[in-house]
Amino acid sequence: MERSSLGLKIPEGMIDLLPAELAQLEELEGKAISVCKNWSYQKVATPGLEYRACVEPDADKDDHLYKFFDKNGHILALRPEFTTPIARMVATRQKGGQFPLRFCYSGDVYRNDSARYREFRQVGVELIGSNNDIADAEVIALAIEIMKTLAIKNFQLNLGHNGIFSGLAEEMKFETKVREELEDGIARKDMVKLEKIISSNDLPESAKELLLSLPYLTGKEEVLDKLQNWTHIKPIRKAVESLRTIYLYLKEFGVQDYVSLDLGILRGFSYYTGAIFEGYLPGIGVPLIEGGRYDGLYADFGMNHGATGFAVNLGFILEKAADFELDMADVLVYGQSPGAVIKRCRELRKSGKKVEMALGFLADTDARNMASSRGIALLEKIEIT
Amino acid sequence: MPKNYLTIALPKGKLLTDSVALLTEAGLDCRSVENDSRKLLFDLPGSEARIIICRPTDIPTYVEQGAADIGFVGKDTVIEQNKDVAELVDLKFGYCRFVVAMPEESLPQKLPDGLYDLSVLNHKRAATKFPRVAQLFFNEHGMQVTPIKLHGNIELAPRVGLAEMIVDIVSTGKTLRENKLAEVAQILEATSRMIANRVSYRVKYERIQGLAEKIRVLVQ
Repeated sequence: MERSSLGLKIPEGMIDLLPAELAQLEELEGKAISVCKNWSYQKVATPGLEYRACVEPDADKDDHLYKFFDKNGHILALRPEFTTPIARMVATRQKGGQFPLRFCYSGDVYRNDSARYREFRQVGVELIGSNNDIADAEVIALAIEIMKTLAIKNFQLNLGHNGIFSGLAEEMKFETKVREELEDGIARKDMVKLEKIISSNDLPESAKELLLSLPYLTGKEEVLDKLQNWTHIKPIRKAVESLRTIYLYLKEFGVQDYVSLDLGILRGFSYYTGAIFEGYLPGIGVPLIEGGRYDGLYADFGMNHGATGFAVNLGFILEKAADFELDMADVLVYGQSPGAVIKRCRELRKSGKKVEMALGFLADTDARNMASSRGIALLEKIEIT
Repeated sequence: MPKNYLTIALPKGKLLTDSVALLTEAGLDCRSVENDSRKLLFDLPGSEARIIICRPTDIPTYVEQGAADIGFVGKDTVIEQNKDVAELVDLKFGYCRFVVAMPEESLPQKLPDGLYDLSVLNHKRAATKFPRVAQLFFNEHGMQVTPIKLHGNIELAPRVGLAEMIVDIVSTGKTLRENKLAEVAQILEATSRMIANRVSYRVKYERIQGLAEKIRVLVQ
């Protein structure tokens, strides 16, 4: 049937990739995955469709899912990320696995929000079954190694901790309402609101001072020294010790120069529980790497596992990457006899050449023109003998 | 472009003068910026920065996407646009209030506590430039009101029967009075904010935070 005008369009936020674009994306993806494999991460895949109950269990929450119904009336969703589906997979299929598990993945994720791309390629890793700081350091070092392998210039990785605010709230026994307001302020990165709540509530002076200065603690080791004054509070001591150890290991990995300590990374009270990190590229308005420790997620799936990981948004890297030379055929084969042409093409392909076959007879000048317009260096004419 | 180069989005109109004055006090050379000009982009000589002039409602978009590193914009617009940006400083100027207003001749009864009884407004329509703010307010009060999105001259809508009430920002109340409208409820108060792109704020932290600190002191 002839297509209506809608049938010629694609939905908002979707894109086609032409050969040069796709080749470049796959090149980036392949390089990233091969680094992961070098670090002993094995590639897994989860389905594009999951139950909403898996990827967003809170029915009250606004989500950005593409949702459908299955035949039984259950709500399905296109995966918005890989971390949760992999946790589901591990909890149901790898219960007796040899922990720690190291998995990597690459695939498209879908988010129905107003962003430019609502479908984009992610590459990422999950390191499941270790609470050790060295696990955090490993995934951070791996993220940086991937950026270096992809020749991403000027990127920067900020390392923070998601347990300080929540730990402090617990320790200070904030009222539920104050806590909720604080959480909302943090999730929205609304310093004005945070300041207002903190100064208008009856909190101990030391807690006020800490809460007000936390978002601005950013830099190198001195950040941790500044936190030292508050380390009589248990969750803070734990966070400081963790960050110090991770930062030290990053030096051993030879990547410390790329990393800033930054307690101003505010990410709300999502599933991240410990060290969190983001990778930035100047000129790209959103982080191109997001990662961190998410011990609570496996607990939600009934498993007691510490886990950490990250995802890289390849779409943004593609945008910044230099123009890509598409890999063209080595030789164009043409001639009078289709049989002889096919035979020669088979021989050449067997020997490892990339071969383009002319479809029908070409005059010599047409063959030359075709080869040059397609960037094919060699021509081979098959004469009938 | 140098690493610390800043693109600053400012709203056109009356907030521009205040914003430029503040940035000048904070040490940026803003002499090149002209109000009422058709020019939309001004380089600030010697300051490693430029100012872009945007419609107020577009500023959160410029900042969220990273096209501008920071922006000055009313809290009203920040709430309405609901973009992922960091809010750094309350600039204290540009004060306004969000209110529900109705024609003077059809005001609801007053309750014993002196407030208007809004329950009679259920299933009515509210003309507004800020449908999200309106919806949040009515939801919070358990009310079912249909926002009607308009782009200007909101005061006209109840006079011609497009809506029973309006949700709008007022600063002096003069426009309401001239259109024979009266405030029946206050939704929230708003002032201008300095907002920042979340990545710029981390990558250019010292520059942006330094500016934020100066401004915080200046507006005290």
